Amino acid sequence: MAIVKRKDTRIVDRDQRSRNRDFNGLVAQLSDSNPVARRWAARDLATYPEAVAVLTERLEKESDGTVREAILTSLILIGTPAAVEGLVRCLRSEDAALRNDAIEAMKSMPDEVTPVMTALLHDSDSDVRIFAVNILESLRHPDVEKWLIEVICEDAHVNVCATAVDILSEVGTEAAAGALEALKARFPGEPYIAFSVDLALKRIRAE
Amino acid sequence: MSMADNTITYEDFLKFREFFYRKTGIHFEDSKRYFVDKRLVERIEATGSGNFRSYFTMLRFQTSGEELQTLINSMTVNETYFFREEHQFKCLVNSLLPQITKTKKPGSPIRIWSIPSSSGEEPYSIAIYLTEFWTGIAIWDVEIMASDIDTNILKKARAGKYSPRSVQHLPERLLSRHFKRLPDGDYQISDDFRQAVEFTRVNLLDPDDTRPYRGFDVIFCRNLLIYFDDLSRRRAADVFFDALNPGGFICLGHSESMSRISSVFKVCKFPEAIVYQKPEGR
Repeated sequence: MAIVKRKDTRIVDRDQRSRNRDFNGLVAQLSDSNPVARRWAARDLATYPEAVAVLTERLEKESDGTVREAILTSLILIGTPAAVEGLVRCLRSEDAALRNDAIEAMKSMPDEVTPVMTALLHDSDSDVRIFAVNILESLRHPDVEKWLIEVICEDAHVNVCATAVDILSEVGTEAAAGALEALKARFPGEPYIAFSVDLALKRIRAE
Repeated sequence: MSMADNTITYEDFLKFREFFYRKTGIHFEDSKRYFVDKRLVERIEATGSGNFRSYFTMLRFQTSGEELQTLINSMTVNETYFFREEHQFKCLVNSLLPQITKTKKPGSPIRIWSIPSSSGEEPYSIAIYLTEFWTGIAIWDVEIMASDIDTNILKKARAGKYSPRSVQHLPERLLSRHFKRLPDGDYQISDDFRQAVEFTRVNLLDPDDTRPYRGFDVIFCRNLLIYFDDLSRRRAADVFFDALNPGGFICLGHSESMSRISSVFKVCKFPEAIVYQKPEGR
């Protein structure tokens, strides 16, 4: 036996499809009992912006991680406001893995996420506000520091502020210094806030 | 007129190191500080940023990610050669293939995909390694598919001509056995290997290109994903997952980690290397 060359350079002998690779065929395939078929449908639906509703609906009930990952990639690729809205819905899920997946997905969509960021940072649910701050951690957007300063100036929840301070310690500039000092005064009984603010200021002012 | 301040302080270095690690998985020890500082200063000057702080802000928040890409290129050594990261080939022979052949149907070939193939050093190294160091080659057929997006580099790969520098890590006996010396001092790999490895053009991020690539037992994709942004890495991971047979393995570069890209692969720690596996039964 040996290193051999396949005569036919195409890799698959045949494409074993039971449904057409068109919108309706792929939507039907997204509910197939076989997760491999569902995953391929999710991947192929990335070229159909109108697939957002079926993809997000599937995402919320999908138990197979490989299918879920493909759906998230497709939603990022579609990148419409509806796709972002679908991901925002996942932030409210009881399923921690789904929430984390949605946060990771939204981090890679700065232009698409920006229009909803202010609303997320003012959401009535403090957990959603923390997730929004988590998204800012890696979001490539010039307003990240401004948003974080607003959070530590306005948010009443100590955990939301603490999350924002952690990120400011890395991305903050002198512009955040006043708000950081003021935060210590807002939460005088919280030693963790004092510690993390001091660390952030040390980093910001380090020369 | 004020002078630009290009000094990189230790705090700057730490801040940058943390950020760069998160983005690329590449970690710089303190001993690499001179290397890192030098490149940072070059980029601060080239972008007219004036100082580290302005440059770092631009690096973090530039929407296109173009500067991060340029910096990654300058921070990585983009050079390939025969038997590069040989420990992974040892892993292939000692750990991966024994596992694959346990469940493989007799008579069906073992299939390996090398992407990006660049000028062919990696797929040819795999072919040489299997021929020389894997006794299973007496029993099994192996297909090696090698792909790259660059058609010029594929032409070079098919020609199989290499500089002495490119083959310098090959033991002399393998060099003389599998290469011929050309009048210009270069080496050309034997026709047997040139004919055995299939080179194809593939854009990893084009679904029409990658859809037919399925049924592989092992994929080598080393030092490519560090050049990709987050979304492209996700898409590449999707392609690899679907290209692998259940139980198949993917080998990344030593500074790359699939765990930061995708959660669907299983991490396998073999004595020679960390490799990622598509779970069985998928």
